[in-house]
Amino acid sequence: MKNVSRILPMYTADTSGVCSALYEFGGMTVIHDASGCNSTYTTHDEPRWYDRRSMMFISALTEMDAIMGNDEKLVNDCVSAAHDLHPEFIALCGSPMPMMTGVDFAAIAAEIRGQTGIPTFGLNTNGTVSYISGAAQAFEALVREYAHPVPKREGTGVNILGMTPLDFPLGAERSVRRWLTENGMELVCNLGMGSVLDDVKQMTSARVNLVVSQTGAAAAEYLRKYLGMPYVFGVPIGRGFSAKLAEQLRAAAEPAVGGALADGLLSESDADTLVIGEAVYSASVCAALYEDMGIRAHLLCPLPCDDRFLAHTGGERIFAEEDIERYALEMHPRTVIADPLYRYIVPEGARHIGLPHLAFSGRSFQRSIPDLINTDIKEYFR
Amino acid sequence: MIKLAIYGKGGIGKSTCTSNLSAALARLGKKVIQIGCDPKADSTVNLLHGDPVIPVMDYMRIHDEEPDRIEQITKTGFGGVVCIETGGPTPGLGCAGRGIITTFSLLEQLELFERIKPDAVLYDVLGDVVCGGFAAPIREGYAEKVLIVTSGEKMALYAAGNINSAVKNFEDRSYAKVRGIIMNRRNVENEEEKVRAFADGAGLEITADIPRSEEIIRYEDMGMTCVEGDPACETSKRFMQLAQLLIDEDNNDD
Repeated sequence: MKNVSRILPMYTADTSGVCSALYEFGGMTVIHDASGCNSTYTTHDEPRWYDRRSMMFISALTEMDAIMGNDEKLVNDCVSAAHDLHPEFIALCGSPMPMMTGVDFAAIAAEIRGQTGIPTFGLNTNGTVSYISGAAQAFEALVREYAHPVPKREGTGVNILGMTPLDFPLGAERSVRRWLTENGMELVCNLGMGSVLDDVKQMTSARVNLVVSQTGAAAAEYLRKYLGMPYVFGVPIGRGFSAKLAEQLRAAAEPAVGGALADGLLSESDADTLVIGEAVYSASVCAALYEDMGIRAHLLCPLPCDDRFLAHTGGERIFAEEDIERYALEMHPRTVIADPLYRYIVPEGARHIGLPHLAFSGRSFQRSIPDLINTDIKEYFR
Repeated sequence: MIKLAIYGKGGIGKSTCTSNLSAALARLGKKVIQIGCDPKADSTVNLLHGDPVIPVMDYMRIHDEEPDRIEQITKTGFGGVVCIETGGPTPGLGCAGRGIITTFSLLEQLELFERIKPDAVLYDVLGDVVCGGFAAPIREGYAEKVLIVTSGEKMALYAAGNINSAVKNFEDRSYAKVRGIIMNRRNVENEEEKVRAFADGAGLEITADIPRSEEIIRYEDMGMTCVEGDPACETSKRFMQLAQLLIDEDNNDD
């Protein structure tokens, strides 16, 4: 019964990842899916929906459209909507039904781009894998389309890659900007929260990229490979680790080219605390716990993550509920830090500190998601 | 790189033509991958001396997980041709077209082309372009040219016409283009005239003319292609000529 979850919910799907990643850039995102369920992508998973508009649409795919392969309807609807709404770009993504019928989104996107002249990209989502995949594809498509060489600006310009409300609370974009400023650096573009398309076009004026979740890794790798921009993984959580990360970022911004992993971003093997969650964020929590509180913590990532990243940080990547449960049991942790819905598999006798994660528990604990960026974490993890 | 898809009516000799063409390309020094895209999974059997490769779908059914190495779903046949079969679901169940798409994304995941570095990839596709799955081999990044196998029989020509129209429907999508026809003779009365009339009407070229031959049957009974068994016979020569033509065209494209 591998991969059957009896207790834990699933992390939100790739389609939500696309919608979240592209929410603030003025494009039109079209999910090729049956009508009636877009609230999942755009309200349950999207706290910005209530106070900020974004063009997120469902194609209202019918059974007959799927059977007949009526791609022309999707093309015509997108072209017609684009004429009315003038989006900056169009992103097409799929759901389980088009996956089964093998819809070729890249080819349909090329047709729409040909007819409208608007940048259009097809993203291979199918609703069966996690948001990491969808958001990563969306961010990479954005930088491929809009990040071109521009002159470097004075000082240390930094891009943040991979920040969406699925992993970060609203307001984190302001905290990270403040942290950069305090450390003598300047935010150029925050890919996901708090930036617009013009900022994406200026990305290469920065000297270094900071990848704050795995959703930003593919875009960072593209920018490294084709535009020579180095990148560093890490989230500036707490005080000590934030200071270290700033140092690392400044060093990486020097002419050295290549991806880098923050010093101290290590999960400990002989730990008594287990942190479960998205890889970059949770590894940063581990590092911050050690720096600020002397706590040795170990990472368990139940989501896709970069092999190189995991090799450096240590920690485990485990997807199946029964394996996560067994791992937690055999580790005998004193404390488990994870989303509140993990409490049902926390081993008896261990203390559970809830760290809500929107991509996991949706809006259930949204108001309690802490902003730990460059702040005192002792109170929260006491 | 030569990227070719072979289509045609069921039973018209697509696998025979594809395997002989693969063998001919291999004899001319090319590294070839042949991918059978048919639930019957019998495309490559004559390159493998009757010892078939496990189809990708069968692998997943048996192991209940995806293969993690190319070697688990490939076998090397005559002339070093790397043989793959998509296979398909249990007859009457599931979705064969989806099986092809799944196999293709798996092959991409396993970095098939990066690892093997082929000079030619041949896709041998079931009967007709019946749904999205069977158009997968002609999508951007896969085959660039299509050869349609037909004889002078009415239903074979009808199927060839359907395939030609289906491929034309994708003109706006940077999909493969029909390169021409392989006339696989069945000794039908006025066969050449009939096929030529069809080709002229469709604006297509007869790229190869394969005679009806006993050699093909004889060597298939021995689990091999005609090109392997008797490279000097007339049938083998025709396949060698077609292979050389494709190589020359590919060199010119580069």
